[in-house]
Amino acid sequence: MIGGLISYRALFYWISPWQYVPTMLAAPLFQILFFVYLGRSTGVGSTSFFVVGNSIQICSMAGIYGMTMAISNERQFQTLSPILATPSNRLAIFLGRGLPVLITGFQTTCFGFLVSALILGFRPAPASLPLLLVAVVVTAASCTGFGMALGSVGLRVRDVFLISNIAYFAVLLVCGVEVPLSQLPGSVRVLAQFLPLTHGIAAGRLLAAGRGGATAIADILWELAVGVAWAAFAYLLFRYFERSGRRTGAFDRL
Amino acid sequence: MSAAGVTVPAPQPLRWLRVLVVGWFYQLKMQAQSGFMIMTALVQPLIFATIAMADQQAGSRSLPILFYALGAGIMGIWSTVVFGCGGVISWQRHQGMLEPLVMAPVPFVLVLMGITLGTATVGLYSMGATLLWAAVVFRAHVQLADPLAFTLAAVVTVVSLGLLGLVMGSSFVLYRNSNSISNMLEYPVWLVTGLLVPLSLLPGWTHPLAYVLAPTWGVLALRAAALGGQPLPDIGWCLLASLAYLALGVWLVGRVEVRARRTATLTFQ
Repeated sequence: MIGGLISYRALFYWISPWQYVPTMLAAPLFQILFFVYLGRSTGVGSTSFFVVGNSIQICSMAGIYGMTMAISNERQFQTLSPILATPSNRLAIFLGRGLPVLITGFQTTCFGFLVSALILGFRPAPASLPLLLVAVVVTAASCTGFGMALGSVGLRVRDVFLISNIAYFAVLLVCGVEVPLSQLPGSVRVLAQFLPLTHGIAAGRLLAAGRGGATAIADILWELAVGVAWAAFAYLLFRYFERSGRRTGAFDRL
Repeated sequence: MSAAGVTVPAPQPLRWLRVLVVGWFYQLKMQAQSGFMIMTALVQPLIFATIAMADQQAGSRSLPILFYALGAGIMGIWSTVVFGCGGVISWQRHQGMLEPLVMAPVPFVLVLMGITLGTATVGLYSMGATLLWAAVVFRAHVQLADPLAFTLAAVVTVVSLGLLGLVMGSSFVLYRNSNSISNMLEYPVWLVTGLLVPLSLLPGWTHPLAYVLAPTWGVLALRAAALGGQPLPDIGWCLLASLAYLALGVWLVGRVEVRARRTATLTFQ
């Protein structure tokens, strides 16, 4: 955890308030407003549909970009080789980096909900609030797992931020954030089941509408399973790229 | 130009034009090969166009698909301008090019203008991509009501956005974290300029903001030319905005240049 915190302070670009406020608070807020108004303009969903979808989705900004920075920036800054030369437990290094990112994602989503309540009149069902927070934590964790996989790819690929950017915008379309899943083609709907956000957002929408129950809990558990699967895949990818990088000397090639 | 062995210097406006064109072309070639710019000008607008068109098809209110295709196209141009021009001076400084460029015997603002116009031109990719996407994926009938006016509107829009990029680049240089301002400025401008959401749905206090931003007039002109309407007044407003940005940009760049020379900070990060 200490290693994760230090790496977060060193590698998370947007940690200073001058970066954090415009990037992690203002930009997500404008994203929520933009899609709420687009939704009103097309008449496709209620304000709550877009507030919940976007407020939960913005936690992926920390998960996707933050984890990409936390892993692949070690290579950019040429500190990866010394870290991998240490006998430290790789799983501890890997998971330690996820915790600060998860907390940042959770904060961003809470900020999104709070501001939406203030300026857009968003009112989630009070009885569902505790479970809604659980759904947010689980979704932030699952986005962190997904981000870990992208970060691991950065051990091999030179411009991993290009992939992270595409991933960040693609989930807006694929995971039912802006377009109801029922409107998407069947193959995209199948793909969405295995991506983070899809089930977390579905649970969030049910809970915000006061229709929690077994379906919402099942969605949260499904989101958790997706996150664990991505984190496990990311760890395997990390170890694979570590081994092949040692062999080929790829860590020092920028 | 030479006559009887005597070199006659080209008239100043021609030299300036040459600097502008060479800078524009060089920047266009460079940005057109940048993965980040291709993502910003192609992939991102296509994702937003798909979202808007899918919502349009699923929703209860219907505006033409072309309304969204054109709006998403200008969103792409705005993104390339925000990310490509916002840090234009800072980037030259970072690369150690600011001193040679300021010392060169041409107005520094022309060099920057070539860069910002070249960057905005790359954004035209997004316009072509979203129109093609609308036709192929959403089976939209893409027939331009007035192709000539459409072309004129597209050129004027790109020039005005490039000049707005010049204003941004010369003002963002005062702020060390210009990249984070760029991150923040995409959505609000997309929203208040009515690129995907009609201006009539937005609160009245946002309208004055829309009127001073060129994307508003650019998208109105393009929609009028494509869907049938009167594009010329909006093209005129876009040109007027361009002149205002040009004046402001020249003034700002001059101020930044003098200040950096006086404080000897041309090479400082």
